[in-house]
Amino acid sequence: MKDFLRNTWKHRAHVVMALPAFLVLFFIMYVPMAGLVMAFKNFDFSKGIWGSPWAGLGNFKFLLASKATFINMTKNTLMYYVIFTALGTFLNVVLAIAIDQFVFKKAAKVMQTLMIIPVFISYAAVQFIVYAFISTDTGILNNALGMTTRFYSTPSMWPAILTIVKIWNSVGYGSVLYMSVLAGIDTELYEAAQIDGANKWQQIWHITLPALIPMITVMLLLSVGNIMRSDTGLFYQVTRNSGVLYPTTQVIDSYVLNAIFKSSNFGFTAATSFFQSVVGLLMMLFANGLVRKISPEDALF
Amino acid sequence: MSKRKGNAADLAPSKMEKKGPGQYVLGFFLLLYTLFCALPVLLVFIAAFTDEKAITQNGFSFFPEKWSLNGVNAVLRYGKQLLTSYGITIFITVAGTALGLLIMSMFAYSISRRDFRLSKFLSIYLLIPMLFNGGQLSGYIIFTSYYGLKDSLWLLILPLCVTTMNVIILRTYIANSIPNELMEAAKIDGAGEYRTFFQITLPLLKPSLAAVGFMMATAYWNDWQNALLYITTDAKKPLQLLLVNIQKSIEFLLNNSNVPASARAAMGGNIPQYSSTMATVLVVIGPIMVAYPFFQKYFVKGLTVGSVKG
Repeated sequence: MKDFLRNTWKHRAHVVMALPAFLVLFFIMYVPMAGLVMAFKNFDFSKGIWGSPWAGLGNFKFLLASKATFINMTKNTLMYYVIFTALGTFLNVVLAIAIDQFVFKKAAKVMQTLMIIPVFISYAAVQFIVYAFISTDTGILNNALGMTTRFYSTPSMWPAILTIVKIWNSVGYGSVLYMSVLAGIDTELYEAAQIDGANKWQQIWHITLPALIPMITVMLLLSVGNIMRSDTGLFYQVTRNSGVLYPTTQVIDSYVLNAIFKSSNFGFTAATSFFQSVVGLLMMLFANGLVRKISPEDALF
Repeated sequence: MSKRKGNAADLAPSKMEKKGPGQYVLGFFLLLYTLFCALPVLLVFIAAFTDEKAITQNGFSFFPEKWSLNGVNAVLRYGKQLLTSYGITIFITVAGTALGLLIMSMFAYSISRRDFRLSKFLSIYLLIPMLFNGGQLSGYIIFTSYYGLKDSLWLLILPLCVTTMNVIILRTYIANSIPNELMEAAKIDGAGEYRTFFQITLPLLKPSLAAVGFMMATAYWNDWQNALLYITTDAKKPLQLLLVNIQKSIEFLLNNSNVPASARAAMGGNIPQYSSTMATVLVVIGPIMVAYPFFQKYFVKGLTVGSVKG
């Protein structure tokens, strides 16, 4: 203990340097964690989180009683997580390999620059672009195909629309990380494979893909902790927060955002948030444990 | 990476023979995907300069019948609010990014010091927010009723200021790319801890700071959610909130179709039109489009998260 104190005193400059970020994390991230207790309280604005009376599991009973909403948004959250993660990872890898294999490097560079641009456009702006394509009367899609599809009141269309928007937004940028790995592969490996008579596909299968596995693992692992969270802007802005579309577009995060604006159902919302945080934590621990078993060097902690 | 460049001369012949038909097929598909990404952005430019009547009659188009500067003029008529919002957005982007980079790199530097016993605890402290999160509702109530920061610019800056991932990227860069001997030598020459950090470490950290900084700046520039949750006065509204408000007023008009024509006329320029809306979008996304190519080269170099753990 005395050693520890002496060591800390010796490093007092480092303690001072770590302090500002420590405090920001404390007030912005840690204090709201304690606020999750409101899931077990009968929240009253005038009494605050800690002053409100305890409600036991009342909020969770309420959650189960109005389970249609709860199940719908949980189902949507998970569905989009699976689609976005599976399809997104696949396309990230395909695009990274495709650009890497392309021999016209100058053209590849220009194309890549253009592919990354969408990630820098906020969803508050994206929704206007989406509207230009799919609005009923003025949309490019309807005009080009001579149809009058009312996209904004047809829930069944939205899983496809949101998936396309998400891919448009994120795949170009997502592939950059994988490209940085590909750039590090020793070219002699490919030459040796060529001499041994391996064709392009065999080279990709036996050299390129195995080299990408660690990065894929890390990225999947990082995303699993967010399994219950969504890209709120995509579901809140791009859908124009339209109630008609909720059956296929409402996710937990957009529900919570709406609840905050309407200052309603705080008990229900708090219980949902608690569920969301706990499931996220469990999934992260589970995924990390799994990776630790299979290939310890890729585990996060 | 260097290997590839090292024997470029020997590779030249085999590179030539690789330009087979397969390359052109690959190029075709890459071009298709590029168009898929770029055309929607191009549409913003075109629609912003399209005549309003052409849009209402024929819909949005890549080849408008009539061009017009009216949309852009309408945006300029927002005048003061637009300038204010630009000011706010630039302020939170610059202040937030600078503050975040400074305090995150100091934190990353501290926990990467060998023989600093507290660094183990600090690393775990850093990792926990990535695993467990209080969520939006709890954050909202604590920031507004307990910290009393409703309608404060602090809530546009602090929540995006320190992120676990960014600290990890910075720490990885310090551990892998800045030789510890340099810092030791500086200390032997009599530089204090702070001087060592600011004069040796920080300058060498530049590539990583550029990559992280640009991603932070984008996050600040594009943040609509915190603004929508916390900001109420016009004087503090950032650009993204203007976009959200335009959409809200369009929705209001659509949902209240019984608003009489005279009332609509009285609202005059306040009724957002297609072309002026797109011109606003253009004004909001423009600066990032311009800045981005200059930072692209740092992405691959600085954002290598391959070795995130430590």
